[in-house]
Amino acid sequence: MKELEKLFIRIAQRVNINLRELGFNVKPYIWDLIPATQMNKFYAFYGITPNLPLHLQFRNSGLAGSYFLGKCRITDSLLYKTDVRGDELKKKGDIFYCQNFKIPISRDEEIVIEDSVLVKTLVHNFSHDPETPERFFIKDTVATHYANIHGAPTEGCFMGPFSTVDQTTIHDSIIGTFSYVQAGEISHLDIEPGTVWIRSPGVFNFLYRYPQDKLSTYIYFAPGIQPQGLFIDFVKDRQEAFQRVFELVNLEQPIPVPNTATLDRYAVVKPKTEIGENVLVSQRAYLQNAILGKGANAQENCYIINASLEGNNVTAHGAKIIEADMGQNVFVGFNSFLRGRPESRLKIGKDCIIMPHTIIDTRKPLAVPSGHIVWGLVTCPEELECNSISISAMSKITSKLTKGNLLFEGDGAQFVSAFQHRIQHILEANGAFYNGKDKKGPKGHAQKHQNMSFNTIQPYPKGKLEGLYPTIMIQP
Amino acid sequence: MDKYLVKDLMVPISEYATVSEGSTLLEAVLALEKAQEIFDHTQYLHRAILILDKNQKVIGKVSQLDTLRALEPKNEHLDKIEDISRYGFSQKFIMSLKEQNRLHNIPLGEMCVAAADLTVETLMQAPTEGEFIDENATVNSAIHQLVQGSHMSLLVTREKDIVGILRSSDVFAAVFHSMKACKLA
Repeated sequence: MKELEKLFIRIAQRVNINLRELGFNVKPYIWDLIPATQMNKFYAFYGITPNLPLHLQFRNSGLAGSYFLGKCRITDSLLYKTDVRGDELKKKGDIFYCQNFKIPISRDEEIVIEDSVLVKTLVHNFSHDPETPERFFIKDTVATHYANIHGAPTEGCFMGPFSTVDQTTIHDSIIGTFSYVQAGEISHLDIEPGTVWIRSPGVFNFLYRYPQDKLSTYIYFAPGIQPQGLFIDFVKDRQEAFQRVFELVNLEQPIPVPNTATLDRYAVVKPKTEIGENVLVSQRAYLQNAILGKGANAQENCYIINASLEGNNVTAHGAKIIEADMGQNVFVGFNSFLRGRPESRLKIGKDCIIMPHTIIDTRKPLAVPSGHIVWGLVTCPEELECNSISISAMSKITSKLTKGNLLFEGDGAQFVSAFQHRIQHILEANGAFYNGKDKKGPKGHAQKHQNMSFNTIQPYPKGKLEGLYPTIMIQP
Repeated sequence: MDKYLVKDLMVPISEYATVSEGSTLLEAVLALEKAQEIFDHTQYLHRAILILDKNQKVIGKVSQLDTLRALEPKNEHLDKIEDISRYGFSQKFIMSLKEQNRLHNIPLGEMCVAAADLTVETLMQAPTEGEFIDENATVNSAIHQLVQGSHMSLLVTREKDIVGILRSSDVFAAVFHSMKACKLA
């Protein structure tokens, strides 16, 4: 048995031990997800920029097609086409505010991945756990296709395809396919597929659960099979375009990019795309006939096709916007799927909040009025009515709201305020408000990621260690 | 008080409400009513029906709460409401959802009629290890066992047989009597 296989078996066992209380066996879910033959096919790579600390350490791990930025340590793990983006980690001397604590950061924060399998997963942001402010850990965890681990230390977890854990510490839990969890800290929970759960204890609690029969059309995952459904087909149909950007060493910039914006060289750009000032297009983003107005962004695994974003739009990790027109300041949450049709476009009015993991899939023209919050599954005007509310109406909720599959308890105004505050922070972090002319306003990723260099590293091509990378330490 | 044993306070099984397995809830309730009419030693009513197998061995107990539980609506929607407690919603919120759900259910009168035909096996609770006590045990031990397990009654044994039931109401009455005698003597 080769070392790669031994490592895989060992990780599966560790995850199973953590999830034994839930009676979960991870092995049938992941055994065929990444065939060993794929692990030596793709190089891994890392970014170099003067704006971030460089400290990478890889030990006894497979890293095929994965990307690293900042301070990361990977040990005894298998990463496949995974992005570990450490550009928002805390720095030595920062102050981390959490509840009533003001926590001084004594050393640069580090992403630590141990004994884990991550498949096409995005790791980003920083640890929101006040107990480990300098260590964003991912341990004994399996995350499958297009999962997002965003500021969420995890230990002993299984994450289904297109699931997201956001600013939450997760212990010994199962996060079902296409589920989104932002709840501070959870342990020993089995979150069923299609659950969108946002909780601030004592302030608000938002829970939406997708109808399982309808969700399975979009994404379905079971033991022994690859993830299936429209989401997977959609991504596969565009996979070939990414092969070109990953295979070529020197790529011409495909379109003009303002000097206050960043278009990552590992993004795919198809014709008729325009990028405005302060725009951030991250790697593995896909743009086709897309107009991104000033301060808009398209983060990792986003697809923007035949669509326009008027400006200051957040398109969070994994979101897809097709045949749609988005007004100013529209926020589209993680892994959302918004699809109009050429003859019946989708219009989202300004200042709307499209909640994480929302599916709007319409065959008739559909317009979301300005200043609305939308969640869940929307395929027609009736479902939009059921799964949306104006921001002003939400702000007036003082105790509870039940609407369709949505259960909300708590203070609506605080819920709205928390979201708006976060959207503002994301725009700022991405450099949307930078004033290029007189070089004022905070620089963000759109400005700091310009002129980044990329180095590649390779695994053992043959032999007992085939597919694994040698121990490598990269420092300034 | 200290000289009392469990057997001094228990209700003999022959005087308690019992039905055979396979009986309906209505038959059980009628048995309870009949037993109560015959047994008029105290002001305290029997609160449960014992279920006997074909060998006259106790296999379970249907309490008043078990009977009321049979009237609770059961549907997929209610299961989902129960499930949300793990997502950190308050009891007040969950109760309000249950109340909303209840309004859509069949009237209580119709549910009573339906519940009357349920067999006792579907409602009964099998006795757990802590619900048995020897007839020669002290009342002090019985009190400890009732309190620790939050039981309303204990099954009293003589070797392998169940010979009676020790009700918390009878223990309470004995304690109350002793308290009064000591303090007011």
